[in-house]
Amino acid sequence: MGVPNFPPRLESDLLRPFYDGLAKGELWLTTVADTGEWIWYPPEMVPGRPHATLSWARASDTGTVYSFTRIERSLLPGDHKAEVPFTVVLVEPDDAPGCRVPGLFVSDEAEPACGQAVRLSPVRAGDHMVAGFSPIG
Amino acid sequence: MMRPGRIAITGVGETPFVRASKQSLLEMTVEASAAAIADAGLRPKDIDGFVVNRNSHAADEIGFALGIDRRPFSAVTDTVGGTGPTGSALTLALLAIEAGLCRHVLVPYGFQATRPGGPYGFHSREPLKADLEMPVGYFGQAAYFAAMANRYAYEYGLSEEELAAVSITFRKWAVLTPGAQKRDPMDLDGYRRSPMIATPFRVADCCLMTDAGAAYVVSRAEAAADAPHPRVLVQGLGLGTSGHPQSMMFTQAPSIIDYPGRESARAAFAMAGVGPADLDLAQIYDGFSISALIQTEQLGLCQEGEGGRFYADGHAMPGGRMPVNTSGGHMSGGYLPGITLLIEAVRQLRGGRGEAQVPDARLCAVTGLGGNSHATTILARD
Repeated sequence: MGVPNFPPRLESDLLRPFYDGLAKGELWLTTVADTGEWIWYPPEMVPGRPHATLSWARASDTGTVYSFTRIERSLLPGDHKAEVPFTVVLVEPDDAPGCRVPGLFVSDEAEPACGQAVRLSPVRAGDHMVAGFSPIG
Repeated sequence: MMRPGRIAITGVGETPFVRASKQSLLEMTVEASAAAIADAGLRPKDIDGFVVNRNSHAADEIGFALGIDRRPFSAVTDTVGGTGPTGSALTLALLAIEAGLCRHVLVPYGFQATRPGGPYGFHSREPLKADLEMPVGYFGQAAYFAAMANRYAYEYGLSEEELAAVSITFRKWAVLTPGAQKRDPMDLDGYRRSPMIATPFRVADCCLMTDAGAAYVVSRAEAAADAPHPRVLVQGLGLGTSGHPQSMMFTQAPSIIDYPGRESARAAFAMAGVGPADLDLAQIYDGFSISALIQTEQLGLCQEGEGGRFYADGHAMPGGRMPVNTSGGHMSGGYLPGITLLIEAVRQLRGGRGEAQVPDARLCAVTGLGGNSHATTILARD
């Protein structure tokens, strides 16, 4: 499979803990600090709670594929022809249902099935790590 | 509640659908606007209202180019994609006309998809996409909607032939439409030769890249009585929305395939006092084959989960019982979001569409999807 090389922009530090987690092979997502409820993607403000803050928590490494697509023509800005094909999955971690993490599908198979069980398997892309998920079993 | 039959679309205009236009966005928008005003039998100074799009030029610039000094009413739609130039613009025009602020509202639109960044620039500016989606290559509308197609197939079942039937249907209409961008006939083999972009989407599943201007004129219904063409009345307007903003909706919406199309259809049909079975034809926002298929269900043209069968059975093709996207839609006709579908509806209801004319077309629905917003519009020949 190909690997897109498009480093996260990280104009703010908001998503840095996500990437720090991947570098350790861990999946960290955001929660509402006072309730512990998962909230993903991290919004600038918690809906309906203007004074609430976010904190980070480690989510389970395992989850299920919500949907996917195999990219054969990359639409990323710049020339990424050499990086296709690759398959993107949207994964719901087992302990954070409804939160979907975009990642690469790491497998000899071209595509997963919706509902398939996967495990976190971060992928090196140039100088950075990105989220990846491989089939379980 | 908004009342049916209070406003009419009296003029429509477009510039040719091309790639890499030599005209500027303003030039195309103004040319289309002048054509729409002339089509309504009006002069530019008769226009006393503007509803512009936030991605297009402002009313003062367009008005200046057209020689219109007075702008007693001008507004900008706050929805994107197909929602803005259709249901949102018509709602604002109706409110302004009913309030007595103006008599003839111009809705101008211009788009240059082939400029650098094109339709994707909007998404690449989103910080959450830049940090979470672009690094894994999940980028661009084709990828987002392809994931919807795979999810739809999981929930309801969807064969390659069924998905292809959407593209093939709209192509059949484009073949009958002078000015459509893709007029070469396409069967299932031709569909399969179309290059894959993001599974299951081939190029043929995606809307076109188009540079063009388009515009229409909305008039108080009584003021439209002496217009040169048969009156096309706005009978129903419905707007639906969902909660997640554009930055999150393609991944985090509870269901990525549940657009707010049922809500908009319900409101539009209620206002018009009709139902889906009363329609003679429909123009359905086809950014992609899957989104047209889902909206077809949400409009009520078939049951939930049966959109693939609906298209594969040929119901929306020329001669079918419910023609859809009779100018080729955005996938084979040209992509000026929403507005060209609305213009095609007007032309069909006037009865002048030549080979593609739907016999005795009197009632047409137009849908527009703008990600987290959706518009359904019901138009009727007077």
